[in-house]
Amino acid sequence: MSNPQVELHILDHGVITIELDAEKAPKCTENFLHYVNKGHYDKTIFHRVIPGFMVQGGGFEPGMTQKECDAPIENEANNGLKNNHYTLAMARTSDPHSATAQFFINVADNDFLNHKAPSMQGWGYAVFGKVVSGNDVVDKIAAVKTGRKGFHDDVPKEDVVIEKAVAL
Amino acid sequence: MPYPPIALSLPLPCVQGSPDWQRVDFISDVHLEEREASTFDAWVHYMDHTPADAVFILGDLFEVWVGDDTTDTFTAQCTAVLQRTAQRLPVYFMCGNRDFLVGADLLRATGMHGLSDPCVLELGAQRLLLTHGDSLCLDDVDYMTFRAEVRQPAWQQAFLARPLSERQAVARALRTQSETRKHSHTDYADVDAHAARTWLHAAQCQTLIHGHTHRPAQHDLGEHLQRWVLSDWHADTTPARLEVLSWLQHEVHSPTQGLRRWPLHQALAS
Repeated sequence: MSNPQVELHILDHGVITIELDAEKAPKCTENFLHYVNKGHYDKTIFHRVIPGFMVQGGGFEPGMTQKECDAPIENEANNGLKNNHYTLAMARTSDPHSATAQFFINVADNDFLNHKAPSMQGWGYAVFGKVVSGNDVVDKIAAVKTGRKGFHDDVPKEDVVIEKAVAL
Repeated sequence: MPYPPIALSLPLPCVQGSPDWQRVDFISDVHLEEREASTFDAWVHYMDHTPADAVFILGDLFEVWVGDDTTDTFTAQCTAVLQRTAQRLPVYFMCGNRDFLVGADLLRATGMHGLSDPCVLELGAQRLLLTHGDSLCLDDVDYMTFRAEVRQPAWQQAFLARPLSERQAVARALRTQSETRKHSHTDYADVDAHAARTWLHAAQCQTLIHGHTHRPAQHDLGEHLQRWVLSDWHADTTPARLEVLSWLQHEVHSPTQGLRRWPLHQALAS
């Protein structure tokens, strides 16, 4: 069975196509497709952009309004996939098993985010896919100007909006 | 009522120290300005002579910064020092509340590495959480309100679009206001201990290093958590306030896990 693919249509920037690794990250894949298919990501923004590190999105609407999410999922960071450039991983709180809808795209090889041990500190961040086309779009997002908005740092000055997310 | 704490967003950026680093220095709040010539001289001497393998500048290196297009002689001198130091060893730069408009152009011109606030520094098995510290001073409600405004993208964009001379005038006015405020307060705002612990837990670090408060110290936060506060720099006071915090690899098994605050002359003599 071939791996599922998802297109993120970014307003004024272009399309990022992501291939999900259903074999190595079945729970993350199912979870991400669930949010894609219910339209959760449509009109959400990349709200946290740190060049040389990662671009994060999927949890906020323009204006930094947080969206409701479903139950958190198990952390699959021990699946052997690495937080390398242009991979997709689940964001979370300090609880390793707290990921819901927010994800990030690595814009560097971030080895320090990889799984080291099944502990609070060592769990790392679960990679579950990679960009297969639209690297240039990711580069453009990573290069937008950012600043502070309310209680959040590193927020793009101009909203970077996911117009729609489509499962292929 | 204190300002609500700023939540820590994860994942946090992380600098991984080289295993070859024997010594790492942390400084902040040098508040470089032309009229503080002897502080400037002390800083230049430090930058040219520190035996550290890396220097981390944690905010307010400059008394004021109104944009990377600043062209005066003093700024050019500072830039030249940063540039030649960054050629000799890695220099990491975090913005503070006074020089928060330092941007990519200065980093590029000097060869310094930019640091997000906050970020983690991994030195072997140790994880240090680095921040300037202003966003943890929750009791300073006036300042936190001001910060929320000036750190907004729209404010910064509008400000940077104004002519340089106009920006310098605004900066002078803000500075006078801030000094008047300082004189009227008997007590400076300090870092909120609960917020510091919350950040440390979220970042899974045991040690917080910050500046901003001008209260150099080492605090035990309980639960094996520590907070180290960097000194501000003033060469003209008696005694001079010139201090460096160093991490020394050969002392990582000491009770302070390798961290040591020392006067500038000792830090340079080692």
